Amino acid sequence: MSQDEKYKEIIKREMAKLNRPVKLKVVTSQSAKPDGTKIRACMDCDQFLSLLRVYEENSNGLLTIEELSIDENPDFAKRYDIQRVPTILFIDEQGREYIRYLAAPQGGEIQPFIQAVFTFAGAPNYYEATIKKNLDRISPSTLKIMITNQCPYCPQVVTIANQFAIASEGKVRTVVVDIMANPDIGQYYDAAGVPYTIINDQKTLVGMIGPNEILRALIGGNIRVQY
Amino acid sequence: MFNIDMEGIDLEKIYDLIVLGGGPTAIGCAIYAARFAMDVLIIGKIFGGLIATTHLVENYPGITSTSGQGLMEMFKDHMDSLSIPYISDEIRSIEKIDDYFVLHSFFQQFKAYTVCIATGSERKKLGIPGEEEFAGRGVSYCATCDGPFYKDKTVCVIGGSDSAAKEALFLAQNVKKVYIIYRGEEIRAEPINKKRVYENDKIEIINNTNIVEIKGDTKVKSVIFESGKEFKIDGVFIEIGSLPNSDLAKKLEVETNKKGEIKINRKSETNVPGIFAAGDVADAPFKQAITGVSEGVIAAYSAFDYLKQTKIEY
Repeated sequence: MSQDEKYKEIIKREMAKLNRPVKLKVVTSQSAKPDGTKIRACMDCDQFLSLLRVYEENSNGLLTIEELSIDENPDFAKRYDIQRVPTILFIDEQGREYIRYLAAPQGGEIQPFIQAVFTFAGAPNYYEATIKKNLDRISPSTLKIMITNQCPYCPQVVTIANQFAIASEGKVRTVVVDIMANPDIGQYYDAAGVPYTIINDQKTLVGMIGPNEILRALIGGNIRVQY
Repeated sequence: MFNIDMEGIDLEKIYDLIVLGGGPTAIGCAIYAARFAMDVLIIGKIFGGLIATTHLVENYPGITSTSGQGLMEMFKDHMDSLSIPYISDEIRSIEKIDDYFVLHSFFQQFKAYTVCIATGSERKKLGIPGEEEFAGRGVSYCATCDGPFYKDKTVCVIGGSDSAAKEALFLAQNVKKVYIIYRGEEIRAEPINKKRVYENDKIEIINNTNIVEIKGDTKVKSVIFESGKEFKIDGVFIEIGSLPNSDLAKKLEVETNKKGEIKINRKSETNVPGIFAAGDVADAPFKQAITGVSEGVIAAYSAFDYLKQTKIEY
């Protein structure tokens, strides 16, 4: 079995366990051909969508991937400040954005992505009680996590950050960036190592970090325990 | 499958064994515990541990060649087949209450009759100016993670161990040139890797040399040798050994040696009844994935034996 087939098998096996409906949005760009039919204009969009369809098709109809064209939805693009495509968004019913992916959920990133989908759908969140206990001490924050597909630690940091975002109902927002696919973002932050986590464009945490380090950095002080 | 297996855990239960750590030692221990029909849970900060960052594993019996990540994926599949739950968290304190232990993290608390500390070790730092400042901007402790950023560039690996040699070999696949900077006379890699290093045209060894500073602007530009010479470089990979993650054990009054490693006997027992230790955090002189797994497996058996003696239903 090739590595790709193995990963597809993992997606199939795990997505079959989804037991609640959930919807994600993916923003692409489309252009019209002379005959009026539409094609995706961005280079990676087709491949990206094919991958997301594997998740969708194996979810017993419970995961919906809604594709939005940046060209046909300018208000949406403006509201969510969509700067590049494809972008995956976890947005709740009230329109609050929790998680944004500027990265394909493939390879090692399958696990944190599926875990986020399940928790976003309502599965229990391990960190929720402590996040809620400390939420009044956390300012609205964005965690940008620079990753690559080869990095063994990246999925672990992404898992924790995604779970924090969902537990905080978007007060902490996660942006997952594949810096091989988005080298300009890596260069902007001078990142030459991953995982590379930036909090509110101010504080940088380099390398593997655990939930304690992330939460302390968000609070700027000691953690209140919930039990 | 998940790094946080909420469905697999029960916060009210007193587990037979909680294994702390996420590397081969912890997983080996948990696999055996599960096969002894013990209620077992793994709590680790880093799934895979340090070996996940190794690009080449060629000394694990039955597996001719794989990556550290590949090995861990196989371990994960094995764990999943036995429904062993894993939680991505860090335990900050352990207390003994009656005949069980209570383990506290900032997020939850857990109870267990026995605990195996398999928290491994973390990379040593050089402790020189520039190291912290340029972390993630030219200073790295993980070639597998950061190697791809240095395509066609010149990098150095600091250290002379087998791990340093393997890092250099991995980096040489993509970079223009790798310098191994080693304070000793001759690198201490396994003969098979030493030969590969000597035969690799892209790798050059600078021996009997210490670096005293890392310099740059927004990114690393050079290192300064003890002699005062400035040496231009794009990336510095530090591989000078590791320190045991034994702080938690020390708080529990588990005995450690001068290096901070937990003292264990041949049954992987510590001086505290019910607390076992294994792998890089323990005091064995030769630390490998396979030796850690072995100690972890023995710890599982000893924990099983301990329960038989202390719990009626065993």
